[in-house]
Amino acid sequence: MNDRNLVRGLFLIAISLAFGLQSLRYPIGSFSHAGAGLFPLMVSSLLLLIGLITAVRSRFMERVPLNLNLKNIALILASLCAFAVVSATLNMMAGIVCMVFCAALAGTSYSVPRNLKVSAGLIAVALAFQKLLGLNLPLY
Amino acid sequence: MEALHNLAFGFEHALTLNNLMFCAIGCTVGTLVGLLPGLGPLATISLLLPLTYSIPTGGALIMLAGIYYGAQYGDSVSAITMKIPHASSIVACIDGYQMTLNGKTGLALFTAGVSSFIGGTIAIVVLTFLAPSLGEVAFLFGPADYCALMLVGFVCVSFVTTGSLLNGLAMCLIGVLLGQIGTDVNSGTQRFTMDLDFLADGVGLVSVALGCFGIAEITKNLDNREERTPFNGKINLIPTWPEFKRIIPSALRGGAIGSFLGILPGGGPVIAQFAAYAIDKRFSKYKHEIGSGAIEGVAGQAAADEAAARTSFIPLMSIGIPENAVMALMLAAFIIKGVQPGPNMIANHPDLFWGLVASMWVGNVFLIILNVPLVRYWLSVFKIPYNVLFPSILFFCCIGTFSVNNSLNDIFTTAAFGFVGYMFLRLDLDAAPLMLGFILGPMLEENFRRALLIGRGNFGAFFTRPISGTLLALIGILVLWQLTAFFLKSRATSRAAALPG
Repeated sequence: MNDRNLVRGLFLIAISLAFGLQSLRYPIGSFSHAGAGLFPLMVSSLLLLIGLITAVRSRFMERVPLNLNLKNIALILASLCAFAVVSATLNMMAGIVCMVFCAALAGTSYSVPRNLKVSAGLIAVALAFQKLLGLNLPLY
Repeated sequence: MEALHNLAFGFEHALTLNNLMFCAIGCTVGTLVGLLPGLGPLATISLLLPLTYSIPTGGALIMLAGIYYGAQYGDSVSAITMKIPHASSIVACIDGYQMTLNGKTGLALFTAGVSSFIGGTIAIVVLTFLAPSLGEVAFLFGPADYCALMLVGFVCVSFVTTGSLLNGLAMCLIGVLLGQIGTDVNSGTQRFTMDLDFLADGVGLVSVALGCFGIAEITKNLDNREERTPFNGKINLIPTWPEFKRIIPSALRGGAIGSFLGILPGGGPVIAQFAAYAIDKRFSKYKHEIGSGAIEGVAGQAAADEAAARTSFIPLMSIGIPENAVMALMLAAFIIKGVQPGPNMIANHPDLFWGLVASMWVGNVFLIILNVPLVRYWLSVFKIPYNVLFPSILFFCCIGTFSVNNSLNDIFTTAAFGFVGYMFLRLDLDAAPLMLGFILGPMLEENFRRALLIGRGNFGAFFTRPISGTLLALIGILVLWQLTAFFLKSRATSRAAALPG
């Protein structure tokens, strides 16, 4: 499975099936009166074709290892979600602090004073946005 | 001669001290806000629109135009330096960001500025002489013709992508599918929303762009354990003469393409960037360098984008139809100021019309004067250590996403696209065609369905209408050309492999 070309083909097939199977549930209609499902079905069939070609072709090509480092992307996504969740439940200032502390785990070095400084700086920027540009930020 | 007289009349209005000041303020504020990831011209104009309420009509419109151009330039700065694009600067991510990686940020930013100026100048010449009659071109295009035009845009992708044609098309199709999320305009059916209310309006462009480009790029840099070297070297802003000479032909080509495509409603500036890039990739003297950080790769698309942004005012001012969201906002600004754009605008408010045309050019000059010296400060971004920089970029991504709809849910969407974008990156799939598909997809579907409805389910309309027939023939030729080139190349390599030694 550790073959980038094959995984790419499978990935494309997965996306096309996700959209294609779902679009079958919508009215298809006819060409003269196209339903909601017709166009996505056409596009995802085409994508399925490309995915199949890619997957088959990968058998005849040299294997390229797939480098996935899930730790960093997971940390970054977690920090974005933390920002959204904390901003919704508490307020956006706390959200900014949570995001900075969580995202910094993915960096090359970790330092609490630096995180505090970055958070303070970003909160200042957010305040400036709110006051000067009139952005509607639920900061506090 | 009358056109020149009109233009002189316009400059008379644009060059008053007050209007110059409004233009300068607009350009500067626009650039500053446009620099922030996720805030494109649309968000910038809507944020800054209230600033213009208290200003006299002429000045307000000039200031808005300044904000628009400033925001566009700011976008290309963030695309070139951080690989965070907006709709107007997707292509700048390809060669522009490569130039940054090669340590030529200064040159890339200068090229973008000068090419925008050249493209803008060409567009203004077009505007001055043809505006009154050109607006009608848009009327000639029926649904089938728009479909064909968008398909041309998709085929351009095959020239744009750095990888294979197949990957580019696949990404384009994925983009079209992503554009399907939300409420179907014809029947009101909610499609692919997974029963989530906030997806009923579809996925935001900002979420897709920030996720697939910005967040994916941050994670890639983190994966590489990259401590971006602080930028100490002297920044060469003014290019050498040979470098400068390379900008001009690409910018002229881009300006001409952009001026034409900008007139057509729907996605003009986006198609224009890709088309200009594709043409440079075919015809430029340095085509082998494009994709790995060539001046032409930045110059052509910047000029096309700027030119298209200008000429997209033509349908608005001559027939009163806004062709994209930014123009719709400009239309709102016109109406707030008591001016109804349309066929009568040139006759009723010649001072506004020609003043605006002239101020576009003045705005361009301001952009160059203000930004060339300021580029030094933009570049100080690179002096910040990456461990401080990336949480800040994430913060701007969050704020950018949030401020579009004041919705925290959109941040989850952005995060989801961050993951998808990371997968694309690791699977060696280029995200630029995805954006093209995403922007054009909904328009493609609408026109496709409309064309079939008019033709009662018959595909004949696509081939018999002169415009769409010509465009489809063009696509056929391009695809054939591509296939022939591919087979000739693979035969040449297999022959070379068969030769001993």
